[in-house]
Amino acid sequence: MYAIFKREFLSYFRSPVGYVAIAIFSFLSGFIFYAQFSDGAVNIGSEVIALRSFFVVIVPIITMGLLSEDKKRGTDILYYTTPVSLFNVVVGKVLAAFTLYVVMFLNVIIHIFVTIGFGGTFGIGSFGTIVVFFFMAFMFISIGLFASAITDSQIISAIVSFIIILFTQLISQFAGYIGTAVNSIASSLGIKEGLASSMGIAIKNAVAWLDPFAKTQDFRLGIFSVSALVFLVSVGVLFLYLTFRVLEKKRWSQS
Amino acid sequence: MIEINNLVKRYGDKKAVNGISFTVNDDEVLGFLGPNGAGKTTTMNIITGYLSSTSGTVKVNGHDILEEPELAKKEIGYLPENPPLYTDMTVSEYLDFICDLKGVSKEERKSQLEKIINMVKISDVEDRLIANLSKGYKQRVGIAQALVGNPSILILDEPTVGLDPNQIIEIRRLIKNLSKTHSIIISSHILSEIQEIADRVVIINRGKIAAVDTLTDLSKRLSGQSKVLLTFTGPVKDCAAKIRNISGIISAVPRAIDSKYAQLEIAIDAKDTAGVRISIFNLMAKEGWPILELRSLDPSLEEVFLNITSGKGRS
Repeated sequence: MYAIFKREFLSYFRSPVGYVAIAIFSFLSGFIFYAQFSDGAVNIGSEVIALRSFFVVIVPIITMGLLSEDKKRGTDILYYTTPVSLFNVVVGKVLAAFTLYVVMFLNVIIHIFVTIGFGGTFGIGSFGTIVVFFFMAFMFISIGLFASAITDSQIISAIVSFIIILFTQLISQFAGYIGTAVNSIASSLGIKEGLASSMGIAIKNAVAWLDPFAKTQDFRLGIFSVSALVFLVSVGVLFLYLTFRVLEKKRWSQS
Repeated sequence: MIEINNLVKRYGDKKAVNGISFTVNDDEVLGFLGPNGAGKTTTMNIITGYLSSTSGTVKVNGHDILEEPELAKKEIGYLPENPPLYTDMTVSEYLDFICDLKGVSKEERKSQLEKIINMVKISDVEDRLIANLSKGYKQRVGIAQALVGNPSILILDEPTVGLDPNQIIEIRRLIKNLSKTHSIIISSHILSEIQEIADRVVIINRGKIAAVDTLTDLSKRLSGQSKVLLTFTGPVKDCAAKIRNISGIISAVPRAIDSKYAQLEIAIDAKDTAGVRISIFNLMAKEGWPILELRSLDPSLEEVFLNITSGKGRS
């Protein structure tokens, strides 16, 4: 596992990918911090929350090549023919991308020190948003890794993870549309008005339940919801498992 | 030692490998031959654990590749057709990574890598990016990668493909050296190469084994007799008649006839070719017909290969 982790993490800095990701993240966080700072009202919590909306750009950049490049180069054969296990390969790759996120986040740590140095506050709510940030990073990186496992093209991998992550950000809106659609379909099928609308609401709530952003809203108030963290970890682990299966399937492929 | 038993790999309706069984003994070089698409690479991929077979077993030094994959894979060094190289790393970084993957301990690492690097002669490019190496050097780094971890078995899929003649000779020499301490399975299109290196040959065609044998036995079995071409000066017909009388000669057929010399194609019973050739020499000396050339016409591996894979001469 350590071998894979070390290679992948260092390879971010053998190509422009690591530098580009860090540059984008630093620019965004720096810009947000600057805007708050010049207003004289710095809130690290809202800076981190704002940064969450850029997962959709940064995660595909750092995960797109993780497995697709191996397939293209033919180096994936090493994972199957050396004593290393596929499980370790998957975990090593996720850790590498996650560690890059930690490195990027050092920029925000600097902002925290600057804020405190200038007499600002860093409360439990801000700490909560940081905790959520890293759990989300794990979840989205797992999704990105999965997208990288299903293709040997970096571009396709990036597009797939971009779309999935974008969907999670728009999920509450989608939930509304889907609910309305279900409602109107049900009433056009002759179901009673009351039942149809409650069906629509039920579906809407079911889809909205998947929204990782709504689930973790309370953290900025300093309320730590374990169930929300369990949700993020579960989705992440689910995608890691799927990635593992995709890799394993290659060996058994019949076509 | 590798024991391969009744290997089948099915791709949809097509069987890429269909019931292949053979054994590779310790410190033996086994040549693996077959036309394109015969199933060579698929078989090699199954032996190394990259693919799994639909049915059949592969045992590497007694460890089943599916049941005890980690023990089995420790025994195998694999050089696929395209060496699995990370072009963004330097040679030493890459080999270090391979050591990590194969779990070579820190204490062993230095001496082992030093030995390998000297053996495959890549010490002068150690600090260069793999992307900037020539094809020959890349191939050597690929072999170095296979040697990491001291596997007892090497599986080399077309190791000399795309190299220039000098590089081919060097790689061939290297493989010969390695064969003293490793069992090797080597596949190749270049038949003379197999002829030079391998102790035994497995020929597969359309997913099935067409022949397994040592090279000399293979050519004998195909023809059942040994042939020589005799070039001399003298009367062809008289000579042919007299040669036919020597015991052990099956036939003597005149070939090209020139005013200056004549040729006879002579088939000899494979049991005692040396004795018969001496008799021919004595006869010709007695009759005063000078021999200009006496050449063996035993089928080359190319002919054997073509015969077998085209369906002729199968036994």
